[in-house]
Amino acid sequence: MTDTVTDVNTGEQVVFWVCAILAVAGALGMVLSRKAVHSALWVALTMINLAILYIANSAPFLGMVQVIVYTGAVMMLFLFVLMVVGVDASDSLIETIKGQRLAAILLGLGLGILLVWGIGSGLVASPTVGLDAANDAYGGNVEGIANLIFTRYLLVFELTSALLITAAMGAMVLSHRDRWKEVASQRDLSIARFRSGVHPGNLPNPGVYARHNAVDTPAILPDGGTSDLSVPQPVRARGDERTLDQVDIDEVRQITEGSGE
Amino acid sequence: MSPLLASVGAETETAFTMPSINYYAIAPILILFGAAVVSVLVEAFVPQRGRRPVQLVIVVGSIVAALAVTIDLRGTRLVTGEGAIAVDGPTLLMWGALLVIGLLGALLMAERSIDPLGDAFAPRASALPGSEDEQEFTRRGFLQTEVWPFLLFALTGMLVFVASNDLLVMFVALEVMSLPLYLLAGMARRRRLLSQEAALKYFLLGAFSSAFFLYGAAMLYGFSGSVSLVAISDTLSAKTGEGSLVAIGIALLMVGLLFKVAAVPFHQWTPDVYQGAPTPVTGFMAATVKIAAFGALLRVLYVSLGGLRWDWEPMLWIIAALTMLVGSVVAITQTDIKRMLAYSSIAQAGFILVGVVAASPQGLASALFYLVAYAFTTIGTFAVITMVRDASGEATHLSKWAGLGKKSPVVAAVFSLFMLSLAGIPLTSGFVGKFGVFAAAIDSGNTWLVIVGVVASVIAAFFYVRVIVLMYFSDPTPDTASVVIPSAFTTIALTASAVMTIALGVFPQWLLDIITQAGVFIR
Repeated sequence: MTDTVTDVNTGEQVVFWVCAILAVAGALGMVLSRKAVHSALWVALTMINLAILYIANSAPFLGMVQVIVYTGAVMMLFLFVLMVVGVDASDSLIETIKGQRLAAILLGLGLGILLVWGIGSGLVASPTVGLDAANDAYGGNVEGIANLIFTRYLLVFELTSALLITAAMGAMVLSHRDRWKEVASQRDLSIARFRSGVHPGNLPNPGVYARHNAVDTPAILPDGGTSDLSVPQPVRARGDERTLDQVDIDEVRQITEGSGE
Repeated sequence: MSPLLASVGAETETAFTMPSINYYAIAPILILFGAAVVSVLVEAFVPQRGRRPVQLVIVVGSIVAALAVTIDLRGTRLVTGEGAIAVDGPTLLMWGALLVIGLLGALLMAERSIDPLGDAFAPRASALPGSEDEQEFTRRGFLQTEVWPFLLFALTGMLVFVASNDLLVMFVALEVMSLPLYLLAGMARRRRLLSQEAALKYFLLGAFSSAFFLYGAAMLYGFSGSVSLVAISDTLSAKTGEGSLVAIGIALLMVGLLFKVAAVPFHQWTPDVYQGAPTPVTGFMAATVKIAAFGALLRVLYVSLGGLRWDWEPMLWIIAALTMLVGSVVAITQTDIKRMLAYSSIAQAGFILVGVVAASPQGLASALFYLVAYAFTTIGTFAVITMVRDASGEATHLSKWAGLGKKSPVVAAVFSLFMLSLAGIPLTSGFVGKFGVFAAAIDSGNTWLVIVGVVASVIAAFFYVRVIVLMYFSDPTPDTASVVIPSAFTTIALTASAVMTIALGVFPQWLLDIITQAGVFIR
């Protein structure tokens, strides 16, 4: 039985418009965000919304696989890789070819308009069939897919294993390092650390000074100066180190003399 | 009972019928696939030193076995795997060509005595270029023997690609064929950063074009309700007046396929990849990918979209003309011989497209002949390039080829033969090939395309002949490269390709007979 596009019921329309807008927003966010992690999260949003649309279109298997494989496995793996590689790595936005970005945006928009117009006019003219007949032919969605995989697409299904083997071996070839140097043991590392002449023990703790004992508070040396070593390097690098100034000294006086508060 | 449980009943078990697969008809694919898997296991279990000889035996043995089965299959004409794979005359012909060229490519990749440091591949692709690790691995004579399974997987993918009778099979085959090539392109022993850049560009652009292919296949599915080439063709002849989905589908599908054949404007990757990839891989890839991609393109156009030829022919006319002209003109300005040959391969793709757009059995036959002739010449050309070297490796800058004819007359003569064949001079295979495609084009009324083709041939002849002039009519300078005497591996590959270039030029009839017997694609 064939329906035309106008016969879609209200519930399905609501699902479509909510998910479609979110999916497109996710895709745009992926392209437009400058940070890789943000892009990955936007993709996850798109994937989940696509999954809902698949399920709404009576393709539950595809929808579940979309969630489990893409949103679950692939995107999380992607995030792990980003975390390992470095979250702060962002793309350089310098154009190596002059006017490339403008040309890309114009051509992309052109292609987009052409596709939307073409597919739109193509779909309005043709009847929608839906998946019910295809699903019922084998007694269900999963059974139908299984039937196709084990008959018509048996060979190509087996062939995808070639793809997986190549991908796995390629990753090994490009990343596996053969060890040819002796690996230093903990004892070797320890000896090397003491020999290096750098102070081997713990660094001084942050200062405990009046109300402040946070990591950004430097320890005070006997001569009244502060020890840079007592504040972790990243805090110092960002310039978040507290300085001891008159306000702190006033505060201490208030506490010791009991005059404040 | 829930509907999900209810469906797991006896009726679903009876609904399943075993697929009928003629295993002997697809034996060449299975042999290569099996050999590739064994070759992966060799990497895992055979000690480092023993891997190379074992891999060579597996690679050469499996290709020869597959070739023997292919020859035995001649005359076969069937569709198997429930309509997924078509084994017909053109398929078998292209299988044969792919396997022979694959064998020659494997011989070039096996060469170890040209470079004093080892073969053409990095000792360990994972070691950073210029690092202490890399020097140590080179000193220890490590070899990255994973190139052999990659070669076999790539060949497997190509065999399936030209035989696929279904867009989904074609897409998976496209990926199986491309992925190993992306990896191989990035594994050069020398100029490694260039090689890695080439691999990355090839991978990104290749993935992009595959996406276009898939999108196109989805559109055609949306139109016809099937991804089978035959079913799409049937729907096209039954339904009329719903043009836009089909038009978009064909256009996107063509982007994916024309990217692989390096047709303008989808050729941007070619110069960088041809230049950066290890030269034996460039030769293998330039020859085999051209055959495989044109094979698939021909099958899609002739089997599936034949009914719409008035729609796609104008598009391919323009692309063919552009490809011939841009390839020929830009090649003139190149100073690196590998880059020049990359643009030359773009121009050659244009000439083959002239045969493709003829859309007749004659056009198919001429394109097939051109592909075979071009593949042999190309792999020979790159075999010569591996041998012309100076202290830093291959001497690819054209200025270093000046006076080579006086220093090494034999190699220069063989290279000149290849250049003349690529230029399409009579008594070489290139002439017969060009004549065939131009004749087919005139027969189907594309005279203006032939005129463009002849003009492009004249422009192209300029830069091919320029190399010959450079080698013979200028004196050797201190910078002139020298020719390294290779081992039997390269010698066999080079001799075979030179002999085929002459044989197909002087006595082309036997191959033309084979192609005539092969006939047209099965429907």
